[in-house]
Amino acid sequence: MQALLAFENAPPFAAPLRFFLTAPLFGVLAGLLIAFEGADVFASRWMPGALAATHLITVGFMLQVMLGALIQILPVVAGANLRQPLLIARLVHVGLSAGALMLAAGFLLGLPQLLGGGAVVLGMTVLAFLIVTAIALRGVPTTSPTIRGIKLSLFSLFAVVGLGIVMSLALAYGWPLPFSALTDLHAGWGLGGWAAVLLAAMAFVVVPMFQLTPGYPARSSWWFPIIMLAMLVVWSAALLLDLSVLARLGQLGAALAGIAFALQTMRLQAKRRRARPDATYRYWQLGLISSIFALFLLSTAALWPTAAELEGWTLVFGVLLVAGGFLPFITGMLYKIVPFLSWMHLQNTGQAKVPAPAMNKILAESGMHRQMLAYGLALILLLAAVFFPAWLARPAGLAFAVANGWLWWNLFSAIRRYRSHLADISRKLAAL
Amino acid sequence: MVVKAHPLWRNENEPSIAIGHAMTTIRSFMTDDHRRCDDLFADAEQAVAKKDFTLAGAAFGHFQSAMLAHFDSEEKTLFPTFEAKTGMSMGPTQVMRMEHVQLRALMNDAVDALKAGNSDDYLGLADTLVIMMQQHNMKEENILYPMCDQHLSDELPAVLERLETELCEE
Ligand SMILES: [Fe+2]
Repeated sequence: MQALLAFENAPPFAAPLRFFLTAPLFGVLAGLLIAFEGADVFASRWMPGALAATHLITVGFMLQVMLGALIQILPVVAGANLRQPLLIARLVHVGLSAGALMLAAGFLLGLPQLLGGGAVVLGMTVLAFLIVTAIALRGVPTTSPTIRGIKLSLFSLFAVVGLGIVMSLALAYGWPLPFSALTDLHAGWGLGGWAAVLLAAMAFVVVPMFQLTPGYPARSSWWFPIIMLAMLVVWSAALLLDLSVLARLGQLGAALAGIAFALQTMRLQAKRRRARPDATYRYWQLGLISSIFALFLLSTAALWPTAAELEGWTLVFGVLLVAGGFLPFITGMLYKIVPFLSWMHLQNTGQAKVPAPAMNKILAESGMHRQMLAYGLALILLLAAVFFPAWLARPAGLAFAVANGWLWWNLFSAIRRYRSHLADISRKLAAL
Repeated sequence: MVVKAHPLWRNENEPSIAIGHAMTTIRSFMTDDHRRCDDLFADAEQAVAKKDFTLAGAAFGHFQSAMLAHFDSEEKTLFPTFEAKTGMSMGPTQVMRMEHVQLRALMNDAVDALKAGNSDDYLGLADTLVIMMQQHNMKEENILYPMCDQHLSDELPAVLERLETELCEE
């Protein structure tokens, strides 16, 4: 029955859309924060501004899009239907956005209560999401690497949020914890176990689909999520047992798994059979190259820990992986998903009697391409700002805000065109 | 074509039903035909990339007739058999039929764009077509065909034979 319902219960457009349109605004906020705080943000990863900006991006942008996309695709790729997707989307969207804002404000203003409150709001939101997803996925057999990846990534989401809550409460109540090591682990579960595994699960489907490449080899795609999680379990156990060599081994394993996945994806993209490279393809190329560099830094530091003490090492790693890797992957996908969903909903409204405009009439390639150049410039400035913060921190923040604002504008314009076509089609249908 | 079709979900974990037909399932047989259509579509894309619109028109024509033959075999053989056996005539097969209508319309528009030599229009339509086609195929390959294999185990040899004759003679 699970599978049957999947055909009829595609969630309404409004369910994922709210996440996609909110995410870039958090990017704008993060950019403005960097522009406002200036060089201080780049003094160390522990600066209040750096922590606030990081969470605006990872929670406000990344988690936002990822949960919205999951609500959309769970029925299609896994045959798992959420009951009342629109209601769930509304609640998760509000909880996530409020939680991200509270968290960022808590970091920035140094208010442990606000930080803890934000963590609890986020925790409850994510927990609610995990429960409804688990119910939907119950009884869905793991018949593809994508379904396995989704299931394992959800476990990691639980881990990263759990660790975050523990740390924020420890800060609020002054519990003595090894914060530095725990923060690394929290980032590992978030970026490796959750974001990378979910991204890979999506890539197994969308890379061949969008670019007409050969499929990922079955064996490595079945194993990638398992290996990534195993490495994070090793890393976590090492922390509990206080075995730093083992922890570094876990980090190295996770980094190498990520590099292998990125190289595999590059190899496939080289065999793409589409007529013309588009913004999605170029965004993915940027994301792949940046993540390979970032993961190379991570493996080096795992083998040779003193490297991480070099000036700017960790910040460059973070900027490369998050702003250079994950954000371009996500933006590239948004640029396909939003026009396609618009087209699909218009098509369904037209009932094959009134034709829908093609995707490039809803979001033109040229607009996406120019936004991508702006984003590339912002990324370069952010990386340079690590080394010349006094000069470049503010321009980098501004450039990042502009590039994200532009992304928002592109998506928003697409939706405006969608709405006007929708009205048009309904009018024509009524006149038939 | 250099690139072999993707064995994304046709891997060691796929259950194979061996009844008369040497390990062939509806899922594997029809999935192979989807990949053949993908290859034909890619040929048209390559021709457009080289701005050879005559070649592109011919290649797209091959793709279109392969797709139409595939739709026909589903709508005339596979879906009715499935519906008769399960009694589900308004379920997944109906959704697939509606998506076939949309895909047929997209292909017709793309043919017009190629005839007019309008590469911008073609690329926009092709982009839409690719995603529509791939997500349609994904639903069939991962949900509908496995259901067919499950419910039509008795009819399997006969259905496969008919599908084979329908898809091989073009
Ligand atoms: Fe079909």
